[in-house]
Amino acid sequence: MKSLDPRVERLPEIGIPEQPQSKPPLDQFGTFEVFVQPKEGKPFQHEGAVHAPNLEMAYVLAKETFTRRFVCTSLFVVLTQHVAVSPFADQGEHVFTLLNKASAGGTQESYEIFALAKRGKQHTHVGKVQATSAQAAMAQAESLFAAGAVVINLWAARTRDIRFTSTEEKDFWTTLPEKKFRDASDYKGGDKLKEFLERTT
Amino acid sequence: MYGGGNTFEGIKNDGLAEEDPGKLAAFEARIARGEKIEPSDWMPQLYRKQLIRMIEQHAHSEIIGALPEGTWITRAPGFKRKLALMAKVQDEVGHAQLLYSAAETLGKTREEMIHDLITGKSKYSNIFNYPAFTWADACFISWLVDAGAIVNQLANAKGSYGPYCRALERICAEESFHLKYGHHCVIFLAAGTAQQRAMFQEAINRWWAPMMHFFGPSDKISAHTQTLMKWKVKMSTNDDTRNQFLDMYVPKIWELGFTVPDPALKKNTDTGKWSYTEPDWEEFKRVINGDGPCNKERLEVRRVAEERGRWVREALRSEKMAYVEPLA
Repeated sequence: MKSLDPRVERLPEIGIPEQPQSKPPLDQFGTFEVFVQPKEGKPFQHEGAVHAPNLEMAYVLAKETFTRRFVCTSLFVVLTQHVAVSPFADQGEHVFTLLNKASAGGTQESYEIFALAKRGKQHTHVGKVQATSAQAAMAQAESLFAAGAVVINLWAARTRDIRFTSTEEKDFWTTLPEKKFRDASDYKGGDKLKEFLERTT
Repeated sequence: MYGGGNTFEGIKNDGLAEEDPGKLAAFEARIARGEKIEPSDWMPQLYRKQLIRMIEQHAHSEIIGALPEGTWITRAPGFKRKLALMAKVQDEVGHAQLLYSAAETLGKTREEMIHDLITGKSKYSNIFNYPAFTWADACFISWLVDAGAIVNQLANAKGSYGPYCRALERICAEESFHLKYGHHCVIFLAAGTAQQRAMFQEAINRWWAPMMHFFGPSDKISAHTQTLMKWKVKMSTNDDTRNQFLDMYVPKIWELGFTVPDPALKKNTDTGKWSYTEPDWEEFKRVINGDGPCNKERLEVRRVAEERGRWVREALRSEKMAYVEPLA
């Protein structure tokens, strides 16, 4: 194909000249939710989703998508279906009044709880509870909050379903501070501009 | 980077008459209170449809916008410029990932969006249908096209849909590097040799019309536009964003001793509005409908990428994994 770019000129003809083929719906990967800890000691916050064929690939893609530029010390990645979601509380409403507090029998397991304080913000990690189901975990999570805390929505995910960052993996992010060429602060054109303006005016 | 409201198309039936009046009133009251709408909330069909279209076009623009600049990575002057341009192009592709996810929360799968891009059904910002002939063209894109995009994106970040606003906040934070980098490149051309200066002047001359097109034609103030503005889907008119761009960047272009190829361009100091020669909107329509210098190449490159990645997607595919909408 004729192009200014020699690499485009070298592209193979792939035989979709006029009517391109439909994209067959074969490669819809699973959906995973990603939580990022921006600094040591700060809570994990929800950053968005990635699509991947398994949890390990999702973890790699999450690292590329959400921690390429911003400081990060650790990641949580979990399959979207493994996250239970509470109803949304309306203005003035308290989310815990919307939850069924009846606890069923069964084995206690550890759940991670994420809370939303305001619409438009991100869900942040508040802690873990032991419960027999995700619904029960959300109802029990009330004890994690100070009295009067505003919570309008909760997510709960079983601790063992989450892909955590291991201690050895933490050096993933140690090169970030060296990559100054990706910072606005590395592009100080002021002196050059001043010298140019003095020379020309 | 991306072009704003220019790709809004008219809607024949807004479907508002069929919406539940009680739910609609509660939805509008929430937006009027300044609260964000989240994916699980009730929303009118028109709202959903327009947001999908807008976020999807934005995502496609990031992908396609990486192509004219990507061309210049291997030829950027010096190691440092190559590193920076590579990082910028990588950012643009990353922005598309964030935006596709935000659009998915409204119910259109990523697969469908990519399908609509490669079959030519979905639009992307028209400006990327023009070629980057020289390094100076790449600098024009990095500085001024990104500047235009930031004007749009900062406005849209104050919109009503939570996932889109969150994606835009991340994007805008990264764009500040693009803008400073672009300006830095242009200052170096401006302060360089006569040949370098001429190169950038030629780039301005080539890109000015597409840059004016970038913000879209004057909006017809229809009931439809007013509804979208009330719902904080469209945050300002195309003329207002164009004016804001001119106000912020024309003085910076002039400061560097370059000219803008429009003798009518001047600011009315009383009203704060810029007057200019209307760009050729017939050309805009022609190019956006497929007849531009690079439309074919842009889609072809994307299709080849799709085709070449097929075996990887097939190899990775797992029957056990099912696609679901992201949560937020």
